[in-house]
Amino acid sequence: MSQNFRRDLNREFDAISGSPSPALSARVRAALAENRPARTGPFWMAGLAAGLIAAIVVGVLVVASFNRHQTSVLPGTAPTPSTTPSSNPSPSPSPAQTPPDSNLPAFVCAGPVSLVGTGSPTVAFVDAVRTGTHSGYDRMTIEFNNGEPGRVDMSPHDGTTFTQGASGQQVTISGSTGLLVIIHGSDEHTAYGGSTDIKTAYSVLLELRQVEDFEGTVQWGLGLSKTACYRAFYLTNPARLVIDIQNS
Amino acid sequence: MMSAVMEQRPSAMQRATEGDADSFAMLIDPLLNPAYRLAAVMLSDRMAAEDAVQEASVKAWRNLRQLRGDEGSLRAWFLSIVANECRMTRRRRWWSVVKSAEVESERRTDLPSREALADLRRALARLSPDERLPLVLYFYLDLPLDEVARTLRVTQSAAKSRIYRAARRLRSDLILEEVS
Repeated sequence: MSQNFRRDLNREFDAISGSPSPALSARVRAALAENRPARTGPFWMAGLAAGLIAAIVVGVLVVASFNRHQTSVLPGTAPTPSTTPSSNPSPSPSPAQTPPDSNLPAFVCAGPVSLVGTGSPTVAFVDAVRTGTHSGYDRMTIEFNNGEPGRVDMSPHDGTTFTQGASGQQVTISGSTGLLVIIHGSDEHTAYGGSTDIKTAYSVLLELRQVEDFEGTVQWGLGLSKTACYRAFYLTNPARLVIDIQNS
Repeated sequence: MMSAVMEQRPSAMQRATEGDADSFAMLIDPLLNPAYRLAAVMLSDRMAAEDAVQEASVKAWRNLRQLRGDEGSLRAWFLSIVANECRMTRRRRWWSVVKSAEVESERRTDLPSREALADLRRALARLSPDERLPLVLYFYLDLPLDEVARTLRVTQSAAKSRIYRAARRLRSDLILEEVS
C-alpha cells in the first residue's frame, strides 16, 4: 500500500474528526455512573425484553418520523435563528442533526426563555433524558417520542431549592443557583423509565432533578455551580429539547 | 507471599464485570480516542460522535458479561458497539451524506497535491459510512487485520475484501496485495 495513499487518507480522516473534547472522558465516566447495569434475571429474559423494547422503539420512530415540523421561539424571549434543517438551505438532503453553532440561538444571561412547538401532540411523551458536557457548555437533552411539547418555559431560579409540583414538598439539589424548566403538555411517566435525579461531574450543570410530572406538566430543576447564561432550542427526528448552560 | 496476594486481587475487568463503574471507565479510557475518531468519520459530525461514544460506552458496560472477561477482545468489541451506535444514530436522524462543509474550515490549503487531495476528499464523501468503517479501522486506527475482522464481525478474508473494495473506490489502481 502506498504510504502516500495512507498518509493522504489519514489526513482527510483527521480533518473530518479533529480531536475529541477534553471532557469526553469525564462525560463517559458520569454516564457510566448514572447507568449502572442491571444484574438480575437470566439472559433469555433480558433478550426477550430487549426485543420487545426494540419493537416498540421502531414503532415509535416510525410514528415520530411523520411528526417532523418546524419550531418557533416566542418573540422577544431569545434571539431566534432557526435550528431546524429545513430553514437552513444546504446541498445535503440530510436533516436533523446538531446544527453548526452559528445557527444556534445566542446564550441568554438573564430572564426567561420560552419555546413554542408547532403541530404538537396533546401530550408529548418524554422517552429519554441525557446530559453531556462540551467545550463551552453543559447540555441537557430531553427527547420526546411523538413530537415537541406545546410550550416550554425556562427561567433562572434563586438558589437550588425547588417546590415539587404535586406534593408541594421542597427539594434541594446541588449547586448555588438554579434554572427551572417547565414543559407544558408533556408526560414523563408513560415512556420514560430513566433517572429523575441525575448528578453530573460537570463544571456548571451539577444536578438535574424532576420536580413535577403531573397533569400534563413536567418540571425539571437544574442545579448550577454559578449563575450562567443559557440557551434552548429544539432538534427534530426525534424531537428533542436541548438546553445548553454556558460553562466558560 | 506478596505474589500470592497479588494473584488474588481481581483484575479491572473482573471488577468492571461485577459492576464497578470506575474500573470499566479505566478500561475503556484508552479506547475513547479511537472510538471518537471512528464515530466522527462515520457520522461526519463531531458532536454527534461524542454522543455516540457516550451511548456506546453505557451499552458496552451493560453488556460487558458478553465478553466473558476476555480483555484482549475489548477493543474490537467496544469499537463494534460504537460502529453500531453510529448506524443507529444515522437511522434515527435520517442521515445519508457527508457534511463536507462542516470540516472545510479546518483544512489546510498549503498542501503540495491539492488536486489529488480534493479528488480523494470527494471520493471519500461518496463512500457510505459502512464503507468508510474498514478504512478507518485499518488505515486510520491502524488495527491489525484480525482485529478489523473481529470489529466488523466477519472473517479475515472478508475484512480484507472490504478494505480493498472501499480503498479501490478511492484509488482505482490499487491492487489486492497492497492490502496486506
